Amino acid sequence: MSEALVRSDPIPAGPFLGRDASLKAAPRLARYVLRARASAAVEKVLGAQIPTAIGGFANGVACLGPDEWLMFASDGRESPVDESGSVSVTEVSDRSVGIILEGARAAEILATGCPLDLDHFAVGRATRTIYETVEIVIVREAMDRFHIEVWRSFAPWLWTALTTAATE
Amino acid sequence: MILIHCPYCDEQRPEIEFANAGQAHIARPSDPSAMSDEEWEHYLFIRANPRGRHHERWRHNHGCGRFFNAVRDTVTDKFETTYKAGEPRR
Amino acid sequence: MTGYRLPTGGRIDRATPFKVRFDGRSYSAFAGDSLASALLANGVQLFGRSFKYHRPRGIVGSGSEEPNALISVTRGPGRFTPNLRATNVEVYPGFEAESQNRWPSLRFDFGAINDRLGMFFPAGFYNKTFMWPRSFWERLYEPAIRRMAGLGKSPTEEDPDHYSATYAHCDVLIIGAGPAGIDAALEAASSNQRVILIDEQDEAGGGALADPALWPWLARSMKALAGMPNVTILTRTTAFGYFHDNFIGAVERMTDHLADIGSGPREKLWRIRAGEVVLAQGAIERPLVFDGNDTPGVMLSSAAKVFALRYGVAVGRSVALMASHDSGWQDVFAMAKAGVGIAAIIDVRDEVDADLRAQAEELGIAVRLGQSVIGVRGRHGVTAIEIARNDGGASSTLACDAVLMAGGWTPTVHLWSHSKGTLAWHDDLGAFVPDVPAEKARCVGACAGLWNFGQGLTIDALPTPKDKARIKAFVDFQNDVTAKDIRLAVREGFRSIEHIKRYTTNGMATDQGKTSNLNGLQIASTALSRPVTDIGLTTFRPPYTPQTFGALAGHAKGSLFQPTRKTNIDGWAEENGAVFELVAQWRRARYFPKAGEDMLAAVNRECRMVRSSVGIFDASTLGKIEVVGPDAAEFLNRMYTNPWKALEPGRCRYGLLLKEDGFIADDGVSARLAPDRFHLTTTTGGAARVLNMMEDYLQTEWPDLNVWLTSTTEQYAVIALQGPNARKVLEPLVEGIDLSAEAFPHMAIREGLICGIPTRLFRVSFTGELGFEINVPSAYGRALWERIMAEGARYDITPYGTEAMHVLRAEKGFIIVGQDTDGTVTPFDAGLDWAVGKKKPDFVGKRSLARPDLVASGRKQLVGLLTEDPNHVLEEGAQIVADPKQPIPMTMIGHVTSSYWSETLGRSIALALVADGHHKMGEDLFIPMPGKTHVAKVSSMIFYDAEGARLNV
Repeated sequence: MSEALVRSDPIPAGPFLGRDASLKAAPRLARYVLRARASAAVEKVLGAQIPTAIGGFANGVACLGPDEWLMFASDGRESPVDESGSVSVTEVSDRSVGIILEGARAAEILATGCPLDLDHFAVGRATRTIYETVEIVIVREAMDRFHIEVWRSFAPWLWTALTTAATE
Repeated sequence: MILIHCPYCDEQRPEIEFANAGQAHIARPSDPSAMSDEEWEHYLFIRANPRGRHHERWRHNHGCGRFFNAVRDTVTDKFETTYKAGEPRR
Repeated sequence: MTGYRLPTGGRIDRATPFKVRFDGRSYSAFAGDSLASALLANGVQLFGRSFKYHRPRGIVGSGSEEPNALISVTRGPGRFTPNLRATNVEVYPGFEAESQNRWPSLRFDFGAINDRLGMFFPAGFYNKTFMWPRSFWERLYEPAIRRMAGLGKSPTEEDPDHYSATYAHCDVLIIGAGPAGIDAALEAASSNQRVILIDEQDEAGGGALADPALWPWLARSMKALAGMPNVTILTRTTAFGYFHDNFIGAVERMTDHLADIGSGPREKLWRIRAGEVVLAQGAIERPLVFDGNDTPGVMLSSAAKVFALRYGVAVGRSVALMASHDSGWQDVFAMAKAGVGIAAIIDVRDEVDADLRAQAEELGIAVRLGQSVIGVRGRHGVTAIEIARNDGGASSTLACDAVLMAGGWTPTVHLWSHSKGTLAWHDDLGAFVPDVPAEKARCVGACAGLWNFGQGLTIDALPTPKDKARIKAFVDFQNDVTAKDIRLAVREGFRSIEHIKRYTTNGMATDQGKTSNLNGLQIASTALSRPVTDIGLTTFRPPYTPQTFGALAGHAKGSLFQPTRKTNIDGWAEENGAVFELVAQWRRARYFPKAGEDMLAAVNRECRMVRSSVGIFDASTLGKIEVVGPDAAEFLNRMYTNPWKALEPGRCRYGLLLKEDGFIADDGVSARLAPDRFHLTTTTGGAARVLNMMEDYLQTEWPDLNVWLTSTTEQYAVIALQGPNARKVLEPLVEGIDLSAEAFPHMAIREGLICGIPTRLFRVSFTGELGFEINVPSAYGRALWERIMAEGARYDITPYGTEAMHVLRAEKGFIIVGQDTDGTVTPFDAGLDWAVGKKKPDFVGKRSLARPDLVASGRKQLVGLLTEDPNHVLEEGAQIVADPKQPIPMTMIGHVTSSYWSETLGRSIALALVADGHHKMGEDLFIPMPGKTHVAKVSSMIFYDAEGARLNV
């Protein structure tokens, strides 16, 4: 076997510096969609507390729906395993890419296409929503930092849209 | 763009996150093969088209992903209420 | 005074003079001028030609209400904007504009012949005259009318500008930054709410801009607001629409006023969600209806005051006022004090407030009460007016060069009406004012009918001794509607104001009747002898003023118009000369031409190589859904037509999905990875739809099932390797999977490693050849593709695109949902009986398969077609008939759904939906096309390797 396969990603590796805001690709992450009727079953599988209210984010896990959690983990972490049959674990590490939007104008730039009232979207919240016509998941990591998840094939469009907004 | 209260997220969210999914409270028959052609036709095709209060299904597809029920006034486009799937008709 | 510029006053910057061009002539202007004020200062009165009669027209208003002075602004290649109101256009050094709707020039306009023939153009003229013969309409009448009657020219070049957009949220949105709006903003801001204050003009102030006494207050207030972090002030921003739940659309003009537009966006679309909306849009003065009231130089009194006090421009050297309202008196007093010469005040009322009369006397202004203007002299500009006493007697003439109309006020309720707020008629104001809100909204100031303009008399038209049928007293200046037209509509039987509006076109121009609606209503009311409240008001609709398409599109232009989804392998295809096509939002390689090849040659080569050696295809766009849970097999069994419970882990199955109505919705091969885990595939275009449909059944019909769905479409890059040498190419790259035919049969799945990367390896075929579909995490797609290309080089591995894929699958009779089906095709129609589980008690769509119309004979069924001429490739979509000699219109019995040149077979092949097709095997059918009727024989859909020998190797 020759050398290992090289990954290729849809957005630039280097950061984009706009006016009072920057954008960059999030580090490579492992991602899992966890589905279950009860959060307790998921907590048992993960051995960690997870948010139970939709919109919550804790321990790298976002609660996106009443029975749906999106888990982020550092790359290389073993997949969670459910042996009870009550939790669905699906790996989606490569389904999306993460974009870190940071800076004093971060919320303003996200608001160019996201219809949520970000003044009322507290630090530590996560949700699935939309930027113009493209579905995204946002996690507010700080007042002026958002982690934006977008499906891989939509990422170049979103990158262009956000960098355009960051330039204006 | 209206605001819609998602009964699962328990907050008002912009309409663009949602999709309408037709008339509510039309349950799929448990044994379709036992139905007459007329009954099946009614289940498949016959829908209400009220002026005013209308029970509809919506899905918060760019949010929590859940289907839910709503009462919307077709004249004013105002939502009277929304409630979770499976809850009794309001 | 130089020209008509007053020696002092106004908010213009006299230290910054420059030149502007209008219709090729140069004029002087100051920073802060509008095009209207700059040209008026140079003595220009003629601004345009009217829509229908091509009558000379001048300025009527001073802002968005302006109906006449529509001009086109040019600022370099592609930057041409027609139909702008000269009163709203800010000028800058080098500004260039031209007038519209005239030929060859504004002063000598050929179309003005329409004015002389005016008696032939009454209301409804076009409707009545150009009805017959019908065929003349498109070819003759409409093009001719469009040439003669029209507004500015449409831009013909691509717009080089870019546009911005945003959402914004606030607790209080105030629309209109006049005194009432500013007060509302100060109040809301002091309670620490998020406030947005918007105004369409270049600076906040509204009416205060024409009232120097208020300028210190204005400066103080705006300074205070600008210093508050919770306040956003948007000037040059027009709120054009008010939508449900306090959602307001506004457009901010960012560069149109700049000499150097820079590289920023031209306009910005604001999509604002407000807790409360405060409408402070003010009021618009009403013109008076009299003969010749459209002559250049006749304008609103309030507008003349704005020109004098805000811009330092006298609209004439000797200005007459025609009033039915006190406000006009106040206007001319202020103008007189600013140095404008006033010829006389004429008021239709017999009595006015004694204080007004005293002030007029003090200023030395002649006053004529109980009189009316009954005619205007001058064609390109006022030279004199005829005045008559309302109670009869001889008329007199008064020389003047401008006439001001003060006909009372109309609150600007457009946005209020967009929001579905109701209106109430106030007799004392002679106006509709906002009544019951439909949203959390309120009106303040003149917009609410609260003004201190004094008293007035509401009249439909000025009294005149002239024959009302022979005079031209305009109501709607922009659409050339006269009082006579409205009376005619009533005489012809129109009763509803909605019908009168559409018949006369009153209020239907781009200004939506800002100055004409109420006068039109009054005239209709008088003609019908019914109160205005019985007649009603027509509906205002967005936009408040016309907006550019660019602004409404926002960022959605060029590469941001909509996402073009690309796979991880797309870059390789691009570098290797692929020709692409769009499939849903995906960009897919259609074929890979080599030098000198056209599409047919490339596709033929690609097909040959797949059949003879090995081809490689990017199948990443296939929809994928991971179905997980103890009830996964039960769920799929209910969704799909065929049985799934007995499918062993490690095996695949073709799944056919129906809608509940029995028609084919989607298909795809799916694999069972474990007892509780399936990997589904869907069509490229159906991915989101199928997931939504499955979620719907799962969440709402069978919530008891323990199974969950997750889209994995983008988790995997998928490389299809197809052809007799596929296994040989793959073998050296794969670890932990025995690829032998015995260990890994057709329609199986194995998990292992490829080039060190985890893979889900399917043994499936959409070509009829030995084939594999390699799923790897998306980011490795391109690297793996290149590795396989290198490995396959000794077999001359050939990348193929969607076109070859289509040909290869058609040779095997594999359908493409959405191409060979159209939402009315059942599994039986498509020859997919084998995929329907006969013993299953239920699945989605099963009951419908027994519907009388789905079991009736004569249904269109999918069949193969072989043309008599093997070299002729039928057109997809071509209609099929049984008898080519029947008279036209022929009975069509079906159409061609897929048609290709098959390089493998050395002839053309086609699939078609044909009525009773399954019972027409071997029959000749006919495809009439221009020039020739083609003959084709109905055949099986499987053209190649019917026994499947090539698959099982």
